[in-house]
Amino acid sequence: MYLQRRARFAYFLILPAVIVIALLDVYPIIEGVIVSLQNQNQMRANPEAFVGLKHYSRALFDEQIFWYSLGRSLVWTVFAVAGGYVVALALALLLNMEIWGRGIFRALFLIPWVIPDVCTALLWKWLYGDEFGVINFLLVKSGIVSKPVLWLSDPNLAMPAVIFVQIWKLYPVMFIVLLAALQNVPKELHEAATIDGANVRQRFVYITMPFLKKTSVIITLLGCIWTFQAFDIIYLLTGGGPANATKTLPTLIYDKAFWGLEMGYAAAIAMLMLAGLLVFSIAYLLVYRTKTQAEAV
Amino acid sequence: MIRDKGLNRRETLAAAMGGLFMLTADEASAQATTNMTFWTVRLNTPELSAALKAILADFEKDNPGIKVKHEPVSGNLVYPKFLTAIRGQSMPDVAEAYSYHPLQFAAVDQMEPMDDIIDLWQKNGQLANIFNDYAYKKFFWKGKYWGVPYNLDIRPIYYRKDLLEAKGIKPPKTWAEFQAACIACNDPASGTFGAVFPAGDFHIAQHFYMSFMFQAGGSILDKDGNLVFGTTAKDANVKALTFLTDLATKHKVTPPGIASYNTDDAHTIFVQGRAAFGFGTGGVISRIMKENPSLFDKVGILEVLEGPAGPSGKLTAAFYNPMFVWNKSPAKEQAKTFIKWFIQPGRLERLYEAAPGQHWPIFKSDINTPRVQNNRLLSEALTKVVPYSTDFAYPGYGRPEMGVIDGEKMFAGPVNQVVVGAKTPEKAVMDAHEEMKKLFTS
Repeated sequence: MYLQRRARFAYFLILPAVIVIALLDVYPIIEGVIVSLQNQNQMRANPEAFVGLKHYSRALFDEQIFWYSLGRSLVWTVFAVAGGYVVALALALLLNMEIWGRGIFRALFLIPWVIPDVCTALLWKWLYGDEFGVINFLLVKSGIVSKPVLWLSDPNLAMPAVIFVQIWKLYPVMFIVLLAALQNVPKELHEAATIDGANVRQRFVYITMPFLKKTSVIITLLGCIWTFQAFDIIYLLTGGGPANATKTLPTLIYDKAFWGLEMGYAAAIAMLMLAGLLVFSIAYLLVYRTKTQAEAV
Repeated sequence: MIRDKGLNRRETLAAAMGGLFMLTADEASAQATTNMTFWTVRLNTPELSAALKAILADFEKDNPGIKVKHEPVSGNLVYPKFLTAIRGQSMPDVAEAYSYHPLQFAAVDQMEPMDDIIDLWQKNGQLANIFNDYAYKKFFWKGKYWGVPYNLDIRPIYYRKDLLEAKGIKPPKTWAEFQAACIACNDPASGTFGAVFPAGDFHIAQHFYMSFMFQAGGSILDKDGNLVFGTTAKDANVKALTFLTDLATKHKVTPPGIASYNTDDAHTIFVQGRAAFGFGTGGVISRIMKENPSLFDKVGILEVLEGPAGPSGKLTAAFYNPMFVWNKSPAKEQAKTFIKWFIQPGRLERLYEAAPGQHWPIFKSDINTPRVQNNRLLSEALTKVVPYSTDFAYPGYGRPEMGVIDGEKMFAGPVNQVVVGAKTPEKAVMDAHEEMKKLFTS
């Protein structure tokens, strides 16, 4: 009886949060599904006409751009998250050691995280520029290249260039989480392993990584979710070009919705993207639940 | 009988009635003032905002019953902001925005017809004072005018007089002369490119292609408004795209990175004095005056080029920008009063002074004022570019689809794709045509 009352009280306490989440998250998703099933061409009469799965069929079967953009999104996500993780892990390992000034460096490495995306994009646009760019200036001056590298104008380089920016933006949050996880690795294990003759690589593979595994999976999945839906950096740096080389799903949705005025079609692509994100989210929830259950035991 | 000092019942009632009357009178006076929201898209720089503020203060002085609340809308957020407003039914009472907005919003029944203003202008002679019919006819669709023009936005080609003189070259007048001059002046080793134009996946890239398209005899629509981009106009459109992109791919007279350039990138290269020819907006004039005044005397504006179509195709792309009224606004009449007051000869002079070249008047009587005569670049633009300026639906008139064609960068894409070598000009034109066709049949 007492427990039931406590449970009711707990539900009562979380009710405001549930209402806010329903309003801010659930309602827009429901609205998105409804819009995706309507004509919603903002240039034609009767935008609310029901068209069923027409927009989904168009995206999946009629237009190559959806699959092309999905491919670009996967390349962007996989390389940005993998790159961010590697950089974050390396920095976390380094700054977990007793080195001089590590407190300052820990703070400095977080700076990219606090810079707004728009500023990040403008900053990197200036760095990458062919005529005014600092990177090209240094490369040419130092004789590494004879002419400016077309970071954002060459279809083969544009995607790596924007991925690099996303890595720069993403690694701080991964770094801080991994650093926190590293601090939970018992020092005694390392000491014992050292006495038993384990070298640095063996200690990393058999002691450090198992401790980081769950945290790594969680932060990687979160990184995938954030990156897959990231929009500002690509849109401001390349606009999805050159020649669609950086046309990820969010930039395609934006173009179709706000420039093409095809809200229904854009909503259908967004729903398909949401389905993709759900895969990451479900994986995240499963891993997170396993981790918390393991910790509870 | 001696009265008390306090109020009796009758006096209290009278005082209460008096107070009520005062409150009602106050409310009535408040109701007499209409508050109106005015969204602007292209008047938002500090200089233009300050000039607009002074103009709006004059309007409120002349029309004491109307208060205008000015709200700038960022260029990047124009469509999201308007579409959200349509969905939430919170559109501004009056707005100035992109070229095809009135028709696009009319297509979803959000625009108030402006025929009464056009009729008024017809009667008072203001219509005859507009120097190009396209300025207002482009807003005519399905039997009604959905917007009225208030300014002109031009796309000149600027050139360096000193560099051409040093090579003994006269300002080019034809495509062949232009190409030869770009090649002759190209000297990247000493920091000067032959030409610079934006070819990134941004809207501006198509504006310059558009001019060459007309000069080759091509177009997007025919005079009846049918899509001909990849059909009867295909050869001319391919020729124009080839000519423009050859500057980058074949003759290599542009900065190598133009495939990621937006408007400002190309402007900056020219304003820094690093290109013999620069494709730009009218705003380059104010940028030169502000950022590099020593360049002013060395720069000229090229007369619109003559291409394969000969004198009949001597045209350049330009945009007559509209003002429009929301048809569900409770202040429709006041919004129209505002537009009638705002768009009058001489009224917007302060805007033109604030950013020389960026905005051009639509009235013949405003166009050749001492302000223009005393500024050599403005005078050159007036005689060499403005008379040849036409809308990008030419030779057809406005259709809502043109806004999407522009918005979705359907013919900026081809410029970008050809410059990076992803497509041939013919393939790029045909792919763009297929995209446009879908739009017209959707």
